[in-house]
Amino acid sequence: MKNFNLAVIASLLVLAVSPIMYSLNANAADKETVNSVATLRDATPIDVQKEPNRIPKVINKDIKKARNYPMQPPVIPHTTRSYEVNKYNNKCMSCHSRQRTEKSQAPMVSVTHFMNRDGNFLAEISPRRYFCNQCHVTQLDAEPLVENTFIDMHSLMKQKTANAKEH
Amino acid sequence: MTQNSDTRPSEYHVASLVASCILKDVEAVKKAITEVDDTEIHATSAEGKIVFTIEGTSYKDIDKKIDIIRVHTGILNLSPVYHQVLDEDQERKLAESDKADALSYQIK
Amino acid sequence: MTFNRREFIKANAIAAAAAVAGVSVPAIASNLITSSDITKLKWDKAPCRFCGTGCSVNVGVMDGKVVATHGDIKSPVNKGLNCVKGYFLSKIMYGKDRLTTPLLRMTNGKYDKEGEFAPVSWDQAFDVMAEKAKETLKKDGPTAVGMFGSGQWTVQEGYAAVKLMKAGFRSNNIDPNARHCMASAVGGFMRTFGIDEPMGCYDDLEAADAFVLWGSNMAEMHPILWTRLTDRRLSSPHVKVAVLSTFEHRSFDLADNGMIFTPQTDLAILNYIAHYIISTGRVNKDFVSKHTNFRLGETDIGYGLRPEHPLEQAAKNNGKTAGSSTPIDFEEYAKFVSTYTVEYTSKLSGVPEHKLEALAELYADPKIKVTSFWTMGFNQHTRGVWANNLVYNIHLLTGKISTPGNSPFSLTGQPSACGTAREVGTFSHRLPADMVVTNPKHRATAEKIWDLPEGTIPAKPGYHAVLQNRMLKDGKLNFYWVQCNNNMQAAANINEEGYPGYRNPKNFIVVSDPYPTVTAQAADLILPTAMWVEKEGVYGNAERRTQSWYQMVEAPTGAKSDLWQLVEFSKRFAIEDVWPEELIAKKPDVRGKTLYDVLYKDSSVGKFSLDEVPEDRLNDESRHFGFYIQKGLFEEYATFGRGHAHDLAPYDRYHKERGLRWPVVNGKETKWRFKEGSDPYVKAGSGWDFYGHKDGRARIFALPYEPPAESPDEEYDLWLSTGRVLEHWHSGSMTQRVPELYKAMPDALVYMHPDDAKKRNMRRGDLVKLISRRGEVQTRVETRGRNKPPIGLVYMPWFDASRLVNKVTLDATDPLSKQTDFKKCAIKIVKV
Repeated sequence: MKNFNLAVIASLLVLAVSPIMYSLNANAADKETVNSVATLRDATPIDVQKEPNRIPKVINKDIKKARNYPMQPPVIPHTTRSYEVNKYNNKCMSCHSRQRTEKSQAPMVSVTHFMNRDGNFLAEISPRRYFCNQCHVTQLDAEPLVENTFIDMHSLMKQKTANAKEH
Repeated sequence: MTQNSDTRPSEYHVASLVASCILKDVEAVKKAITEVDDTEIHATSAEGKIVFTIEGTSYKDIDKKIDIIRVHTGILNLSPVYHQVLDEDQERKLAESDKADALSYQIK
Repeated sequence: MTFNRREFIKANAIAAAAAVAGVSVPAIASNLITSSDITKLKWDKAPCRFCGTGCSVNVGVMDGKVVATHGDIKSPVNKGLNCVKGYFLSKIMYGKDRLTTPLLRMTNGKYDKEGEFAPVSWDQAFDVMAEKAKETLKKDGPTAVGMFGSGQWTVQEGYAAVKLMKAGFRSNNIDPNARHCMASAVGGFMRTFGIDEPMGCYDDLEAADAFVLWGSNMAEMHPILWTRLTDRRLSSPHVKVAVLSTFEHRSFDLADNGMIFTPQTDLAILNYIAHYIISTGRVNKDFVSKHTNFRLGETDIGYGLRPEHPLEQAAKNNGKTAGSSTPIDFEEYAKFVSTYTVEYTSKLSGVPEHKLEALAELYADPKIKVTSFWTMGFNQHTRGVWANNLVYNIHLLTGKISTPGNSPFSLTGQPSACGTAREVGTFSHRLPADMVVTNPKHRATAEKIWDLPEGTIPAKPGYHAVLQNRMLKDGKLNFYWVQCNNNMQAAANINEEGYPGYRNPKNFIVVSDPYPTVTAQAADLILPTAMWVEKEGVYGNAERRTQSWYQMVEAPTGAKSDLWQLVEFSKRFAIEDVWPEELIAKKPDVRGKTLYDVLYKDSSVGKFSLDEVPEDRLNDESRHFGFYIQKGLFEEYATFGRGHAHDLAPYDRYHKERGLRWPVVNGKETKWRFKEGSDPYVKAGSGWDFYGHKDGRARIFALPYEPPAESPDEEYDLWLSTGRVLEHWHSGSMTQRVPELYKAMPDALVYMHPDDAKKRNMRRGDLVKLISRRGEVQTRVETRGRNKPPIGLVYMPWFDASRLVNKVTLDATDPLSKQTDFKKCAIKIVKV
């Protein structure tokens, strides 16, 4: 009985959801189209305003994202709401500084951040790296409007290694 | 803020540095560098610059190793140039999910 | 695999350190980081594609794709750093919707203004374009054809475009999007100094004791210069930072003295500072008497609106004399600024008196070396040229100029606003090296260098950016080519001017872009375009630094660079199609030739052979045309400035340097202009020499506060300021396609004071309409974001193609610079 009910509910859900699924798929198909126009406007005419989507939430899962290439600053995997980074305070450093990482278990800032403009190694983080938010950004839970076909060098190498093996 | 599980991810860190040395102390500095675990010297210039790498398992690990080297009196200046982390746990997970991804693309 | 990856990143690390140390690492050539073919990675330098800071980046290429970028440690500008946009440069070329074929509006296989976009070949595209251009030229003459270019063109592209328009089509209707960006700065320089571009350089950042930001949010818009400023402030406790703006933004995070002023009252604050310097007896009398003179400027000059607008009808001096001035003496000037007392200025601006005094003291104290920075707050201003003049006044009164740390510094927005727009002179009134079309001697110089008959270049300035949109709407400009910018999104008043202009049935609009932008959407023909390191080029940054790069990867098949498009298109025109017989008769050997022959191949542009292109380098344009076209264009262009205080080094040298600051004389760059000892053009024994003016003196201008074009009233009760954000470059056409940047800042929200929201019964996230007299735009409310406007003002960025805030803005311009004021108009906000 219980099972039956669940099945009914499930099928109803599918019915209800399917139009949404359909429209999602249609969107995905549009994104595939090369040489289409108004891709960032969802094909809306210039004199028409599409209803703006809701403000997405900041992704706050604390799961590290793989970097695209060496020296890409890692994105911030948590919210930074009301974090002060100003002349007096740097909230980020209360977890990410070298003294604090033991306790916070957060990743320590890379050693490059201790180098000043002339390449000297400083005891503290270099003042030119002080404003973390110039390079490190949070990510909002928003689906990109357009796919990006960038391939990182490791994937490229992997592909080539695989190809080499085939031959 | 960060909720860490007990199992630490396996990370591979590499940092490259340039040490500018007092010329007469170059050999002594080189010795001091190589005494630290997982270091490697790649080049030394006539002006007394040593290019070397430090490998390790965490930020702290790299940092500790740098701190051992940087206090050497023969070093005029130590510049960290590069630091990269390879999260090998995540790599493995990504590799495993590759197949699933391929499948889901086909469905689309 | 893991082992390979470790080995690979370690090799990367070694290569980077070896490069810094300047040593070669045995067995690892700098470009060949491991011995295996599979990991072959080639590194090369290029200036960043985004702002006017001009950071150098290292670009890693593998298998014909850019796979990595990072800050160039050898560059004096950024010393290894990038901002978040710069770090993601690798991805800007790989948006899935890159255009790869020309698209023409068609119905039943034929061009139709009302048709749908359909793919055509380049040949078909150029056939239609040439037909439309010739038809227009025949019917209405050169003034009916026009081009809108960019401070993001390479120097060579801008130069090729100027030559095509001004000499080929004989039309001065060419203007860059830099008109929206720094035309007021140019106006300020020309008026005060008689020569364009900053006298100082970024080295001022490490030398100054105080920084004053006037309408410049460097923390977001010039992030790497901000790192240098931060470095200076935090390493030297005596250094002070003052920040002025109409709303609080990220640069206030470092401010010792942060000031929010009522829009437009910066003019009064500037005059107050001059008054303070005079009234406290701190004028540098020796400097002022030897190197300056005083002028009283014309006032009541209007707002650069259409002539029938009531504000223009009411203005007394909005005609040709708007920029005129008469000589006065120091006493008259002192009397003029004495109106701007601290009480009056504080009341007008809303800035507390003690804050104004603290600010003025930074300038007045002879022991403090002070650098002023400004960007769009000054330049996008209906009195932008005045604001520029007034800040120079302060530096001139105190002699704080052209020495390390003493620097009035106009920051440019675009990567080559200085290089391409200003130095090349891609403006409707300009020619290369600060020359103008209205001056017969200047025209003659250009005609001589271009080897063209006298009278080729028309004397009347063409339509500037804002006028181009108006003339499109009025049907006076009918053939229009837009390259390297997104002006439908960027220009003010889309509803009343831009959109009806592009869609006017009389007009044929061509848009060249790598991506389908809003502007492309409004076009009739879209040309797929190569970008950044898909071509060779030169950019000039805000400190006069000229930087070059090689082509590193191929563009997607079908996409062609702006340069290729300009030059290839010129082949479609016989000289007889474009020049009248009497002009041809003055130089009969051009008969039977094409514009391509006359302007490029057979001119000095064509004199460098393909052999000079390094064999291992890509260069699609040169190999297509059969000569080293980038070098030819650069060298011919450089002849304009050499010997005239705009000297550039030989082209090949730039490929070896991380840029050089012009004038480059005897192989040496110039850090501080107008100062004896650092500028080779300064007369010996003079100390300072403002040689842009014949008398060697800079001008101090008496100019008043005048109100803005539109202020809030009962119905439209809020100020609207628009602007940019850190994560996106301008209209977002590149950065919105980088997932990390998109997800960092996906939508343009309206930043509001919480009390303003509350008063309107709104909460964060609410869907609202911003309504002005010209149109409306929908977005959502942000009350706790990075920008904190005061009560009565809201801020909305313009990067978001889906929410076009320029439907709301007013196309009022500075009557002198013709630059739009994007920072002030009156709106109301209602819930949807």
